Amino acid sequence: MNRIDTLPPEIELAQLLQRCAAQDSVAFRTLYDKTSPILFARLLRMLRRRAVAEEALQDVYVRIWQRAAQYEMGRGRALAWMVTIARYCAIDLMRRERLMLVSDDSLAEVADESAGESDGIEKPNNFDHCIGQLNDNTRKCLTLAFVEGRSHDEIARLTTSPLGSVKSWIRRGLLALKECLSAERQAT
Amino acid sequence: MKSANRELLDRLAAEYVLGTLRSRARRRFERWLLSPQVGALVKAWEERLAGLEPKLAPVTPPDAVWHGIEERLELRKMQRRPAARWLAIAASVAFFVVAGILLTYRPSVDVRQLTRTQESLLQADAQTIYWRVEVLGNHQELELHVENVYDLPAGKAHELWALPEGGAPVSLGLLPKTGEQRRVLTPAQQTALAGAKQIAVSLEPEGGSLTGAPTGPVLLVAPLSRV
Repeated sequence: MNRIDTLPPEIELAQLLQRCAAQDSVAFRTLYDKTSPILFARLLRMLRRRAVAEEALQDVYVRIWQRAAQYEMGRGRALAWMVTIARYCAIDLMRRERLMLVSDDSLAEVADESAGESDGIEKPNNFDHCIGQLNDNTRKCLTLAFVEGRSHDEIARLTTSPLGSVKSWIRRGLLALKECLSAERQAT
Repeated sequence: MKSANRELLDRLAAEYVLGTLRSRARRRFERWLLSPQVGALVKAWEERLAGLEPKLAPVTPPDAVWHGIEERLELRKMQRRPAARWLAIAASVAFFVVAGILLTYRPSVDVRQLTRTQESLLQADAQTIYWRVEVLGNHQELELHVENVYDLPAGKAHELWALPEGGAPVSLGLLPKTGEQRRVLTPAQQTALAGAKQIAVSLEPEGGSLTGAPTGPVLLVAPLSRV
């Protein structure tokens, strides 16, 4: 497994995206080399099966190339923008293929580096404080949904909780997170 | 937007970004992403939930993935050698000379070669069709016909968008106010149109959206049907 010690600076990624918008295929290849190990790890985490994640990775870069012109420099970080595209692609793929990714014992092939902040992706101010305010069940549901791409049903099964509770934990958790983050923003 | 609607939309936006909005509800919600209000709600949730991004050890994908991307986007064709590039420039100069002659002399022969493959009627109701959009060939060109004039405020323009399945809208340019117009699509527009089942019209500043995404209200949405 290759290890990237330092992520390319965001500015460089943003510039590469701009060149992609101008149909510069050399810039696209550089962007792919620099970011595909990160996006592939993220897709593997959600889709679990290597072949499916490889297919998704192709979709992701096709979309990045097609939408590079929509990336606005200065608005949002380039890597976060690409990771979001990858997450949505993975969810679309689960939907399209009706993938049964629910086998509870199938372990993610990607190891967590550490509990720290993801490289190059900015957390909102006070995120750790606000997520810490949620109860364990809610935090677990949000993480299973966002990080692993699990549906309500899957989360209910994985946490052996009633579906109704899962839905309401998620709904209330999102609301509480939003309120806490906006309160913290106003306070600062 | 009414506050109850806004609350509901915000909840849907949150679950869309979180990933728990699935199946048909997700597809339906994606149609609303055209609206700047909904787009802003989604963006705010993307920023909030970015805090949940895990820190993962990178995994290098196999080379076959890149080859597949290259093939799907036909990137090799874009990397022409210098000699080929000069030939291409010469060919495009020749094309414009020929096109200029054809336009000047208005030949009576029909220069159309592409067949009509898809059609879409942009209409407010069954009786009132505003534009008829024809897709020619393998999404290479569009032919736009004004059937009825859609009122346009001063300083504004009507912009046409392809709505690729599960993707963001891609501009297909401004719509003519009268008559008919034929236009050649860029490779990016062709790909977007190939992946779209619907097209839409939005109200934009004169000259078109400055952001690359629809900024004004979406006036019409219509399916693309095979002919």
